[in-house]
Amino acid sequence: MVMVGALHRRIVCQMLWLVLAWPITLGAQPSHDVAVVVHPDVPVDSLTTADLRRLVLGDRGFWPGSLRVTLLLRAPVAYERDVVLKNICEMTEAQFRQHWIAKVFRADTAVAPKIVYSSEMAADLVNRMAGAITFIDAAQVGRGMRVVKIDGRMPGDKGYTLH
Amino acid sequence: MTDYSHTRFIVRFTLVSILWLGSALPAVAQQPAHPTPPDDQAAREALPVYPSLHIAGFGDVNFAAVNRNDGARGFTEGQFTLHMVSALSPRIAFFGEVTFTPRLDAGTGSPAATGFNAEVERAIIRFDQSDALKVSFGRYHTPINWWNTAFHHGQWLQTSISRPEMVQFGGRFIPVHFVGALVEGVAPSGGWNINYQAGIGNGRGSVISRAGDAGDNNDVPALLLNVFTRPDRAFGLQVGASAYSDRITTIGRPDYNERIVAGHAVWQHENPEVIAEIADVRHTQVGTSVTTSSLAYYLQAAYRLPAPARLWKPYYRFEHIDIDSNDVVFADVPNLDVSIFGVRYDISTYVCIKTEGRIRRRAENLPWTNGWFSQIAFTF
Repeated sequence: MVMVGALHRRIVCQMLWLVLAWPITLGAQPSHDVAVVVHPDVPVDSLTTADLRRLVLGDRGFWPGSLRVTLLLRAPVAYERDVVLKNICEMTEAQFRQHWIAKVFRADTAVAPKIVYSSEMAADLVNRMAGAITFIDAAQVGRGMRVVKIDGRMPGDKGYTLH
Repeated sequence: MTDYSHTRFIVRFTLVSILWLGSALPAVAQQPAHPTPPDDQAAREALPVYPSLHIAGFGDVNFAAVNRNDGARGFTEGQFTLHMVSALSPRIAFFGEVTFTPRLDAGTGSPAATGFNAEVERAIIRFDQSDALKVSFGRYHTPINWWNTAFHHGQWLQTSISRPEMVQFGGRFIPVHFVGALVEGVAPSGGWNINYQAGIGNGRGSVISRAGDAGDNNDVPALLLNVFTRPDRAFGLQVGASAYSDRITTIGRPDYNERIVAGHAVWQHENPEVIAEIADVRHTQVGTSVTTSSLAYYLQAAYRLPAPARLWKPYYRFEHIDIDSNDVVFADVPNLDVSIFGVRYDISTYVCIKTEGRIRRRAENLPWTNGWFSQIAFTF
């Protein structure tokens, strides 16, 4: 009887915790802006959505000054990748993969996007590789990172599209 | 005196040192910084390495059932395709494509024919100066036809099982391969994204379905120009036109000048996907004004169904080829009217199953041929 009572209390406590924690877990779902970060030497301060699409889809391979673009993309299921595929490429994950397989197969480019597995790795490599561009959750953008405007807006601005 | 000399020496030494450091420091600052070695393996792998060879492949297995003896029946192995790409430096890359095609005459002849025919489909070395200027040399799929350069030998990439007959591999209507040099790029054009490709090469060989791999068989080079736009305002749309000229030299026939004008319009989204192409091929016997004109076109439409059926993609294509009856060069090329209807099912990200019916007729006085075809296509 004592054991049943203890078990009952434990279940009630756990349910109560779940109910209380629910809004917190909802709030933890990433829904904030994604910043477009480039290597400090990239001679660009602002991009249009169309520019960004051409970069992500490999239709544009050079920055002004003939600096080669290196695209660093988060691995599948990352929030940043989902935002880019949905808002910029208007593609599903399968369509995006097929696009890049075809892109390389057509000899349009020899280099597919490089996969980064964390925001820290993206931040590290974007500052290390000349011509690199990547996408980082705006809340995790640190000092020394070069964020470019998209359609004239920075992350947090009204009308910013990458979220 | 001694103290004065010593002081003067110290002042001069200091001034020279300051000047030397002043001139040397900017030079040091201008030297490219060596990248710091990354800490972890993933980061290390992301840094570029040259050469960086990557190999991918495509394969397919087919089944055909036809009501008349008009091609292969039963199970057939498709082409086994290997694609190689290697960045040799930040601006130079090599692209290669090799296929192995099952032979109908395997085991016959002396020495016995092998089971598969190996072919170097593409071998391209390209120098990228910028987006506006890329120069390459090698063997290409002739860029005067959208399908020919969009899907190459990757059956998995295309929605349908078959290629349009106007660009059938081994076909003659359009020169499928091109050996030579190509200049390509994107012209500054605002949001219009106007792309160009201009080429010079050997053109058709003595067997007109083949390119002049071992050299041009006449002194008139083949020239091509392809221009297309991908406007920003209509993401997914590509519209273009191309022109091609060559002199055809074959054994036992007079030479002919060939002029091809082609156009395409493609909506590359999947809901819907629309591909339309048309090409007019004109042959003029050298030294005469007699010209023949043959026309081919096709229209394909497909639609990726919405969830929960989004793995399914039904499609339809109509093709028409009309060969000028006076065209000596295309004397063996048949006319065609065909309707193709089918569905593609993407069983996984890299594997699909397609099944399609074809109803076709070669001439008005010939019977319709009906066939049902299935294919498993994949990339690896």
